Amino acid sequence: MTINIILGVSLVLAAAWTVMTARLLRSVIGLALTSMILTIIMFKLNSPLAAVFELSVCAGLISAIFISCISLTQRLTDEQAATKQKERFSKFWLLPVILVLAGVALYQVHIPLDFHLQAAPSESDVRNIIWNLRHLDLIGQIAILLAGAFGVVALFKD
Amino acid sequence: MLSPLLLLPLLAIMILNLPIRSLTQKLSVWVGVGLSLWQIVAVILLATGRGCTDTWGKFFTLGLSCDNLTLVLLMSIGIVTLTTILVGWQTIGGDKQRFGFMNLVFVAMIGMNGTVMLTDLFSLYIFIEVTAVASFILIAYQRDTNALEGAFKYIILSATATVMMLLSISIMLLVVGDTSFAAVGSAVKQSQGNPLVMFAVGIFICGLLIKGGVVPFHGWLPAAYSAAPAAASVLLAGIATKTSGIYALIRLTTSVFANNESVNSVLLLAGTISILVGAFAAIGQSDFKKMLAYSSISQVGYIILALGCGTNLAIIGAVFHLFNHSIFKSLLFVNSAAVETQSGTTDMNKLGGLGTKMPVTNATSLIAFLSTAGVPPLAGFWSKLIIVIALWQNGLHTYATIAVLASVLTLAYLLLMQRRVFFGKVADGLANVKEAGWGITVAASILATITVGVGVLFPWMFNSVLMPISSFLK
Amino acid sequence: MNDSFILLPIAIPFIAGLVVLLISQRIQSVKEAIALLATAATLGLTITLYGENINFSIPWTGFGIDFALRLYHFSAFILVAASAFSFLFVLYSCSFMRDKPYLNQFYSYLLITLAMANGAVLSDNLVLMLFFWEGLMLTMFGMIAIGRPGAYKTAIKAFIIVGGTDLCLMLGIGIAGHLAGTMTISKISLPVDFLGSLAFVFMMIGAISKAGSVPFHTWIPDAAVDAPLPFMAFLPASLEKLLGIYLLARISLDMFKLTAGSWISILLMTIGAITILLAVMMALVQKDYKRLLAYHAISQVGYMILGIGTCLPIGIIGGLFHMINHALYKSCLFLTGGAVEKQTGTTDLAKLGGIGIKMPVTFVCFLIAAASISGVPPFNGFYSKELVYDAALERGTIFYLAAILGTFLTAASFLKLGHAAFLGKRSEQNDNVRETSLPMLVPMIVIAAVCIVFGVWNYLPLNDLIKPILGEERLAGYEFSPNTMLITITVIVLVGALLHHLFAAKVNGSGYKASDHIRHAPFLEVIYTKAEKRWFDPYDIGLKIVQGTSRLGWWIDRGIDWLYEDFAVQVAKGLSSIIKLAHTGSYSMYVVWSLIGVLFVVIMLMKSF
Repeated sequence: MTINIILGVSLVLAAAWTVMTARLLRSVIGLALTSMILTIIMFKLNSPLAAVFELSVCAGLISAIFISCISLTQRLTDEQAATKQKERFSKFWLLPVILVLAGVALYQVHIPLDFHLQAAPSESDVRNIIWNLRHLDLIGQIAILLAGAFGVVALFKD
Repeated sequence: MLSPLLLLPLLAIMILNLPIRSLTQKLSVWVGVGLSLWQIVAVILLATGRGCTDTWGKFFTLGLSCDNLTLVLLMSIGIVTLTTILVGWQTIGGDKQRFGFMNLVFVAMIGMNGTVMLTDLFSLYIFIEVTAVASFILIAYQRDTNALEGAFKYIILSATATVMMLLSISIMLLVVGDTSFAAVGSAVKQSQGNPLVMFAVGIFICGLLIKGGVVPFHGWLPAAYSAAPAAASVLLAGIATKTSGIYALIRLTTSVFANNESVNSVLLLAGTISILVGAFAAIGQSDFKKMLAYSSISQVGYIILALGCGTNLAIIGAVFHLFNHSIFKSLLFVNSAAVETQSGTTDMNKLGGLGTKMPVTNATSLIAFLSTAGVPPLAGFWSKLIIVIALWQNGLHTYATIAVLASVLTLAYLLLMQRRVFFGKVADGLANVKEAGWGITVAASILATITVGVGVLFPWMFNSVLMPISSFLK
Repeated sequence: MNDSFILLPIAIPFIAGLVVLLISQRIQSVKEAIALLATAATLGLTITLYGENINFSIPWTGFGIDFALRLYHFSAFILVAASAFSFLFVLYSCSFMRDKPYLNQFYSYLLITLAMANGAVLSDNLVLMLFFWEGLMLTMFGMIAIGRPGAYKTAIKAFIIVGGTDLCLMLGIGIAGHLAGTMTISKISLPVDFLGSLAFVFMMIGAISKAGSVPFHTWIPDAAVDAPLPFMAFLPASLEKLLGIYLLARISLDMFKLTAGSWISILLMTIGAITILLAVMMALVQKDYKRLLAYHAISQVGYMILGIGTCLPIGIIGGLFHMINHALYKSCLFLTGGAVEKQTGTTDLAKLGGIGIKMPVTFVCFLIAAASISGVPPFNGFYSKELVYDAALERGTIFYLAAILGTFLTAASFLKLGHAAFLGKRSEQNDNVRETSLPMLVPMIVIAAVCIVFGVWNYLPLNDLIKPILGEERLAGYEFSPNTMLITITVIVLVGALLHHLFAAKVNGSGYKASDHIRHAPFLEVIYTKAEKRWFDPYDIGLKIVQGTSRLGWWIDRGIDWLYEDFAVQVAKGLSSIIKLAHTGSYSMYVVWSLIGVLFVVIMLMKSF
């Protein structure tokens, strides 16, 4: 029980840091952290497939998109970073409010799920899922990382 | 035969990037030509029923599948990649630059080949993303302001699409517990309009519409197409967005979302709006590539419209138009590449009278624009005809009429383009323009031959090649 | 022999034609070699194919339209003739066309024309035949157009006339196919009822206009002046006659059950008779070598149509025999014309004269061919005309009279031509004229020799080539021995023509002016003057009508034009600029659009809740 609470709290903290930090690179690290915590939570909830998806989305895809995005944007100066740092609380205070309200609203709305739900696959070993079920995704991820690497080579080099 | 289509480009990238650059830099172009030619041959072998045993597949459980729709797409991917490489060979200066470009094209090839062969919603997302990431970098390849702006717009809207697709996949996973097409398809059928499932379907379709550049999700498209380097815009406009957006949409609406009535009405509407907005916007453009980009939006509208019609004939028309569009739109972009490299501008106000200077480009552009406008007996005419007939048969008379009238608009703006760029008096400062290099003219000639050939051979192809496409509809 | 060999007579020249077009203009001899080789190969092939019966068919477009070819006696015969003529003309052109512009196009058009002609002759399907027929029209257009600057006008005229009549052919084919329920020629056998005769007349228009009959002939004399000369010898003089008469014979012998008493038979005979007379009257007064020949090319078609129109076996045999004879002597005549043009630089009769002694071989060939066309015994033209006379006399004296009058005038005009061009006084600039080169002489000599062979031993072509076309049962009971009375009359007429010419030449002062008294005869003068001003040319009449109506329609047109030109464009531009305004280039704007779109789609999908 305690571990669940710790995980939940650290997930929220990591996510908040990801959004609020002024540097894009830090934001990337925050996102990776968030997704790792989320993965662990999903394993604990006995949903390995979702966990693997989460892992692959964040580890591979999002990072590559970030790399290309960073390469296309300009770096903030230190002054700009400092002002952003100051503004962040005033900018994002609405966020938790909206989140809570949305949660309440979703809880109130009745979503009809009155059809047969299939059981999630029972294999809990992440290696099994990555290596035996989702070869194709691995190839895709390799390709994305390659693209990211070429992007860095092509766009950063001067 | 299927898994090599993915693994060979991957292998090629790895070998080319071994630390023997001085050798591989020169070799990369030839490898690209070889790969794309091999892909075309492989498709022909597959289509004639040979090479279906997948020896490589024994080592990997990739779960690839191949039906006639896949073959059509693989064929167009092969052809357009070949032309992209030829154009890139000619237009991108410097061995190093060219080498990087080729690597990215291979990555895009992996992405597109994977997209058309896979059978899983999540893998679909990944491979769409592969194509997209390669495209971002290709668009920004020249690193000038326009290119970065175009790439940035694409990234932003693409990220929106990503969020939507992922949200949809997560809902599907919640509801179905699996993401394979078969499982999702049967669950969607069983759920019979459950709002949560319909929500997932809706946002997935929206994600794909963004990727495909359908109005009103098209904001990124003109900037991206026109800012990309010449060769990249051929790949992008010709096949990349068509595979990741339109092919996926065809696949999902036919075999996964199971011809849902309300999905169809959405598609009909989006298609019509695309056709009209694209065509009208194209008329007002003075930039060659921007006009082509809007024309692309308009033509994609036809495919979406046919998809929304939903009958077998309409879907055959959609697939056929997808193929034709990838050929003639690539051809038009190849021509724009020729004009851009030779005259240094794509502003049509500064161009004029290039027809006598660039006879091959002039002739092939004429063929391409006539095919786009649907003038018989070129390929574009037949696919539009099938679409219009299918719409009419299905009782969608208004849509059919709009489709026919819009092709007049297509003719109008492309004729305007042809006149402003190629006909008339030679514009100032263009007196010394010469025909583009052999890579571009060869690419243009290949595509023009295909357009004319498919058009002329259509009566033979209709029963033997086109009708069997519908076999994937079951 | 493999059945697919039948494709080769079409494929060889066609591919060779494309190859020639691609070869650079500079290596002329390679082009010539390829053209010679291709035509020689086709000729050899068609000779080996002769006597075979092949039915070849592969599925084509569906709907009962197959790629069906049929080789049998008649088509094989035409194939051999067409290939032989092409070979000779290519040989001739090697010398004649040397150093002329557009050479690459000329050879490839010639070869493709041969391919199309072979295809049209071989095809056993009406639609397929039409396909080749239209191809022929295109190459013809090209060949006229490359002739000389300004030839485009003539080319367009030819294109419109031939195109219009091809349209009739298309209509006829449509009706015939509808009536018969099949497009396969060998399976069609239609009665001549109302619709049947309609189909026949439409197809007949297509056929006889290809052959160059009145009133579809007016482009030929113009083309004679504009087009390269081998074209004239090749298309209007030989190949198109072969094709047109072949088609006419096919439709009247095989496809339709034509009887001697039907009104179509009379229609055909009337067209034939009018063609003979009208064209020969025009020919008589021409002052140009090539134009004169061109009018004769029209006039002689009349005999063929007359012969086939009689619907009597003897007449049909005569018509077909005349077709092959005409192709021989007329092409020979055109070739002599080309030789004269090449050596003297002109075809204007006023500037020619007395060159017979300088160009003896050409002159002899001319004499033989001219004797043939005038029907002098024992040359080939005499025998075929004799058969036509025989049949015409049986159907009606008036047709016979027209035919014999035509012969009189033909003889008179050729006497005049020969006299003016080769005899008489030689002008000074022609003093240095020499005999023409060997590649040009060989075709002339070969053809002239065949003229004599077909004349003296006329039973050879008749028994071996022409009669099998009709088959034994149709010919039963007919004799083909020359009719003594008719021969006598013919000889008298010919002698009359000679006397008339001698007398007229003396009265008018020279051979060149020998026909002037006819030209200026009362009543005839008016008609001639108007004819020269093209009053009777349906094309020019049509042009005037079109111009009149177009002026009338101009104002209406302006109004509609405004609707399209200004109104529609303004509307489109307006819409376009509105859409352009919406594309601000701001990505946040685009994201907002997309989200609105998503909202809309989701609402539409979930609206049932």
